[in-house]
Amino acid sequence: MKLHTFFIVLTIFTATFSRIEPSFAQTDPVPPPLSMDEDLLQSKMKEVSKTLRCAVCQSESIWESNATLAIQMRDIIRERLIAGETPNEIRAYFVSRYGDYIVFKPRFRGINMLLWGGPFILLAIGAVVLSRSLRKWTLQKDEVPPEPLAPIDEKQRERIEEELRSLK
Amino acid sequence: MTEFRTWHVFLLLGLFGLFALFYKGLWGDPTALPPVIIAEPAPEIVAPSLYGDKQIVLSEHRGKVVVLNFWASWCQECKLEHKFLLAINKRFEDNPNFVMYGVNYQDKDHLAKAYLDQHGNNFEHMVDLKGKISIDYGVYGVPETFIIDQDGIIRHKQIGPVLGDVFSDMVQNKIEPLLNKSAPL
Repeated sequence: MKLHTFFIVLTIFTATFSRIEPSFAQTDPVPPPLSMDEDLLQSKMKEVSKTLRCAVCQSESIWESNATLAIQMRDIIRERLIAGETPNEIRAYFVSRYGDYIVFKPRFRGINMLLWGGPFILLAIGAVVLSRSLRKWTLQKDEVPPEPLAPIDEKQRERIEEELRSLK
Repeated sequence: MTEFRTWHVFLLLGLFGLFALFYKGLWGDPTALPPVIIAEPAPEIVAPSLYGDKQIVLSEHRGKVVVLNFWASWCQECKLEHKFLLAINKRFEDNPNFVMYGVNYQDKDHLAKAYLDQHGNNFEHMVDLKGKISIDYGVYGVPETFIIDQDGIIRHKQIGPVLGDVFSDMVQNKIEPLLNKSAPL
């Protein structure tokens, strides 16, 4: 695989993931209505809360945590949903205050791109190294002429024929 | 052969990068948090004072250096830094371009007042109703201290108590340069 082919593969991976993981700046296609019923509100609250880390707990989302800070964050999510903000806008607010640490799923941006694309980059490098090694090995096998057989003397020939006769 | 050497360089760079990330992740300071709010405009604050006698509005102090300290009466480290905070305000209180506020965090009013009665007080405090101010400032816990410049931009965030070297650094290298407008932070 040539160098430019590798970069084409890398670009395809990058483009694919940028579609899977949109940035929080993007808005939801259908914003929630200003007055939503309680079930829908709870469902939206759960959706957002489950993606945000409780800043003072160990690996708990603010939906699961009963820490005061988590409860206060849930209240803010509720208020913002009622005000008509989308889940992505609310997540963007928390990221602007606490950084990427606050979201469980790192955004596809900056150094995080390495996290998302790293395994595929390593896989691509491995594939390139493997293909190069295999090609080199194959070419070496083709290029090396067969080793000429050493001539055998009369004594060896007689012994071989004797062995063959004994097999019959 | 040249292409092979290029790939060697790529591989070495990649491995070096991975090792650097692992090193940072495994041996770096796990308590270090990215200061995302630094150099951003300070979120507006409109909150009642602890003693309920007035409404504190941050934007009314535009043009001044504002020190904002988040604290609670149940916080042990807050007790340690309290005398240093009093010293900061005492040092700059005569400067008309300086103001200092305490933000009482996840606390009860009567406990906060008792704390101030016990440990002394020389600056104003506000109540963080429902945690809105602390979440707006990305506060993880107390104590945390912010320095806001004359243009309303957050210039420094101190996670943990302001004492010893941190106190000296904050006074000499953070607050004084801003008040003198002598050097960027």
